[in-house]
Amino acid sequence: MQLILYGTMLFVLLIIPPVRNAMESVMVVHMLVQMPLLILSGWLMAGECQSRFERFLASWNANGTAGILLVILITIYWMIPRTLDEALVTWYIELFKFVSLPFLVGFPLRNSWKKLASLTKGFIVFNYISMFGLLAWIYIDAPVRVCNSYLEADQKILGWGFLMIMVSLILYMLQYVFMDHSEASS
Amino acid sequence: MESVKSRNNIVVSYLLIGGFTILVMIIFGILMLLSQGGVLDLSPSMFYQFLTIHGTGMVGAAAIASAGIMGYFLSKYVNLSKNVMTLNLILFLIGVVMVIIGVFSFEYAGSWTFLYPLPQLSANAWGIVGALLYLFGMLILGAGFLLFYLDAGRAIMKHYGSLAKGLGWDVISGKKTDDRAPSSTVVASTMVIIVNVTAITAGATVLIMNAIHVINPAFTVDPLLAKNLTYAFGHIFANSIIYMGVIAVYEILQEYTKRPWKINKVFLIAWTMSTVFTLLIYTHHLLMDSVMPAWMLIMGQALSYANGLPVLVVTAYGALMIVYKSGIRWDVGSGLIYVSMFGWVVGVVPAIVDATIVVNQVMHNTKWVPGHFHMYMALGACAMIFGFMYYIAKQDSDIKTTIMDRFAFAGYTLSILGLSGSLLVSGALGTPRRWASHLPEWMAPAVFGGIAGILGMLSVAVFIVHFVRFIRRRKKMVSGNAFDDQQLA
Repeated sequence: MQLILYGTMLFVLLIIPPVRNAMESVMVVHMLVQMPLLILSGWLMAGECQSRFERFLASWNANGTAGILLVILITIYWMIPRTLDEALVTWYIELFKFVSLPFLVGFPLRNSWKKLASLTKGFIVFNYISMFGLLAWIYIDAPVRVCNSYLEADQKILGWGFLMIMVSLILYMLQYVFMDHSEASS
Repeated sequence: MESVKSRNNIVVSYLLIGGFTILVMIIFGILMLLSQGGVLDLSPSMFYQFLTIHGTGMVGAAAIASAGIMGYFLSKYVNLSKNVMTLNLILFLIGVVMVIIGVFSFEYAGSWTFLYPLPQLSANAWGIVGALLYLFGMLILGAGFLLFYLDAGRAIMKHYGSLAKGLGWDVISGKKTDDRAPSSTVVASTMVIIVNVTAITAGATVLIMNAIHVINPAFTVDPLLAKNLTYAFGHIFANSIIYMGVIAVYEILQEYTKRPWKINKVFLIAWTMSTVFTLLIYTHHLLMDSVMPAWMLIMGQALSYANGLPVLVVTAYGALMIVYKSGIRWDVGSGLIYVSMFGWVVGVVPAIVDATIVVNQVMHNTKWVPGHFHMYMALGACAMIFGFMYYIAKQDSDIKTTIMDRFAFAGYTLSILGLSGSLLVSGALGTPRRWASHLPEWMAPAVFGGIAGILGMLSVAVFIVHFVRFIRRRKKMVSGNAFDDQQLA
């Protein structure tokens, strides 16, 4: 119950206009802080709420595939540069962001991840590694401003941010595969 | 737990598709050589389409067949997913169809290395559709292999605890004794998983970069970054074929000689060194790029020298020792496996020569390099694959080899020596590689290579016929015995 409270508090905090405006005024904070925090708020809220939708989740997300596909589709959508612009200038896209990231990414992510086979998890992580590498290139190397609302310098910072995430994921995977899991599994 | 028959059915499919594709790709190789030699008159666009399909098809076919070898033997030690192996094969076929349509229907001819910005910069030789079909075909193909390696990694981690233990680091560090080391198959598979997952991830990134550039040329890529990513994929992926194939050497020679291939610290350290070196030495493809950081080029040269040694020496020495006074009964399968060690050892020498920066400046864009990789891949990796095909035929049926198979063995060995020799001579003469047209003084070795290729094609055709005979024979046998009930692992 405590986690739902934390999740709700985080979600409310992110909605407060001064916080929202401050976060959205800097590209890298918009993309790499606000959006992940929205996902985190949904993930926290999902903890206890899952039991209320037990039957629905059991029939629609039994093995986690449907949920994780939703997560992938929504996160890919929010990786497209123009969606950032649209969220700033179109109210219903902004609303969609605040609904989709917590409830269509954070929530299903928590419900799906533990249901997935380790192979699927690995495949998804390696896909995100190459996707983040690609985004790093797009934002660092783009010859034009890809978002009207942000400067070219902002998008370069964002690109380096994606590169950092990619490197972090690689390091995480390296430590994971080289750490001994035999005791944990036995 | 899968039954032997059920598992072997997939492996047999890998080998049949791989082997047959290699046969078809040899034909394209012969046509190119005869065209360069002035015997045939291929249009340049047709030549470059053949060049593209030949390179892509050979690497892809050898990779899928050697993945079959890895899957077959690794299944003895860990529990691989049959569904994933099947999915890999399906994605491979989808990718191949897309590549074939891209090359022959839409005339994509940017070579198997799809080096940026060539897929987009075709001077109207091909359009967007051809390039995208090729790039996305490769991406789908890569996704299948990624699944295969991730599943193999999962299985090794589940059984041994970690990839570090799969490489035998606990034995190297002294925590375990040599007799508790993982088998050579597990060690080699772990190495291949590490390098190929890295390679495919890099490849996926650069493939999408190329695709975006093809769709919108305003989005450019730093060409040096693209080339690094491309060769981090291409070199590692192609190189790993022999590391999967060598599993057959370890397993088959043990069985033929009835002696264990002993794993010790030297063996394990050699494989760990090769894991690291294989990831780093792709820079020897960029020795002519003067804008590369000097330390990377020096590393490319030094580690290329070093990478030639550990696994190769340990394996070649091991192969000599295990056979020495063993009373082995030679047949076509064991012969091919043994000759593959020769192909590997000899084939690596021109590569090490070319990895020397001062030599590379002169030789890298000549046919010297195809001379190296035809020896290395055809007499090394492919000989392992064909040797394994004979082995599995012998294991799973009562099929006997004929005089034709023995002639084919000799013919294949001679043809690859002739073909590689002609390419090396061409390189020494300064003949440029990847050129549709040749000056008259470059033509004779090309014609010789083409003729040697015809002998190779006939020999491989005999190998494939033997394998098809085995499949037909096996079907009849399986229907009448309890073969299905045997369990793996």
